[in-house]
Amino acid sequence: MTYSEFQCLKVERRGPVGWLINDRPDQLNAMSAHMRDEFAVAWTELDRDPDVRVIVHTGEGRAFQTGVDVAEIAGDGVGMERYRRSVEEFDLHFTAWHQQVWKPVITAVNGVCAGGGFHWIADADIVIAASDAQFFDPHVSIGQVVALEAIGLIRKMPVEAVMRMAFVGRHERLSAERAYELGMISQIVDPPERLREEAQALAEKVARNSPAAMRATKRALWGALELGLTDACRKGAGELVSMWGHPDQEEGPRAFAEKREPAWQDLTEP
Amino acid sequence: MTYETLVVERRGPVGWLIFDRPDAGNAMDAAMFRELETAWRELDRDSSVRVIVNTGNGPAFQTGVDVVQVSRDRDALREQSRRTRDAALRLTAWHNQVWKPVIAAVNGVCAGGGLHFVTDADVVIASSDATFVDPHVSLGQVSAYETIGLVRKSPMEPVVRMALVGAHERVDARRARQLGILSQIVDPPTRLRDEAQALAENIARNSPAAMRITKQALWGALELGLSDAYRVGGRALVSMWGHADQEEGPRAFAEKREPVWQPLVPDGELKSRR
Repeated sequence: MTYSEFQCLKVERRGPVGWLINDRPDQLNAMSAHMRDEFAVAWTELDRDPDVRVIVHTGEGRAFQTGVDVAEIAGDGVGMERYRRSVEEFDLHFTAWHQQVWKPVITAVNGVCAGGGFHWIADADIVIAASDAQFFDPHVSIGQVVALEAIGLIRKMPVEAVMRMAFVGRHERLSAERAYELGMISQIVDPPERLREEAQALAEKVARNSPAAMRATKRALWGALELGLTDACRKGAGELVSMWGHPDQEEGPRAFAEKREPAWQDLTEP
Repeated sequence: MTYETLVVERRGPVGWLIFDRPDAGNAMDAAMFRELETAWRELDRDSSVRVIVNTGNGPAFQTGVDVVQVSRDRDALREQSRRTRDAALRLTAWHNQVWKPVIAAVNGVCAGGGLHFVTDADVVIASSDATFVDPHVSLGQVSAYETIGLVRKSPMEPVVRMALVGAHERVDARRARQLGILSQIVDPPTRLRDEAQALAENIARNSPAAMRITKQALWGALELGLSDAYRVGGRALVSMWGHADQEEGPRAFAEKREPVWQPLVPDGELKSRR
């Protein structure tokens, strides 16, 4: 499959792994209005590519992502108002979760992740980081509210750490080591230059698993964040049972018994 | 306002609420229950206070209901029993809808009902000798409010273990930090208040209006499923757009100076919309 031409992103495939790379290194990968639009297309294309089983998201340069492009906001007189309707109605399309991508998504944090950059940590399934990655949320230091990214994060990790970042603003940074302790990330890559290799290796491990089973699993787990415990189990049971009778459920045990890699079915829509 | 069981004071932009019954492990008697509500409201209304630190005098941070008073005078806490039953407690900042940032600085043992003040704080730090224990079930009492809050905010197994092991085991500050119940350990313990003040002053450098909406959005998100929480959060985010602080913040950053934020107005309404 060929991908669209992007100005602010690189989109490519390496084996079963689709790569989405933030590519505005001189702006610390800050999200311009154009980049925001490109994200929506890139996620959808990677999701549709049958050769892509797992997606890795990272950045070029010394930052992973630093939120909305403040220079653009300040420069053209329109400011944040351009985003009012989409935020008020929560009609956003720049993360995999927004775009309902049910393939596994790994975020590989290659440097500074600030403010709006947390969207792609909150909305990823797996997060790894280079040992020199740093995390902070400067919103309240420039008179902005912290809401969306932190709302996602507090479902997924200890709340106090998220609130501390929200209130301390730009006056303190969280290290990769502390992010690992807190369960915000699951792997630190040292030296940092090895981040992409490790991300590819991890993605290839994930890609060895049944695409259909992973899709139902991802739906069950993210869906559980919408509900109380008992309701989440009931809804999860629906995802579980949806796989029964699928060819992968025979292929998996057979391949295991025959000591070979399973030949999984490609994902069919939806 | 003078207090019998608390010390309430200001240091720069930081309001301090200090439990002051050191001989009773800072346990809450009927007077402290009454005074806590008054003290949180006083600090919340004071526009010179931007951040609140909550700590204790003496070797304990807070040890919950004063069981000595309860055993002597069963009627003394009748009002609190009613409020407990009706989920209408007014002990903590969250109970009293204080939307300024609150730091709990745990200076020693935090037991049972003392955990309310850890659960309901935004930021928690502790001295290296602080410990956490929930003895409710060892006294024939149910552990509910404090631990319900904690299981929303930190890994669940250690919280349930604490609730069920009761008086027979303590969680130390180091483990509490690993678990993300708190974010900073202060050693030596004597430096706790200095470090709390320094942290509070850093927080006080940020926009009071933005922090208030942030706090409402994040605590409000704990009430809802993920998508609903995002929807409500999106509206909270946009409610700040057009506020004077949103121009002042980037301008001050560009001019390399401290921002001059709009003060919060006491009734909770945002000021200085264009």
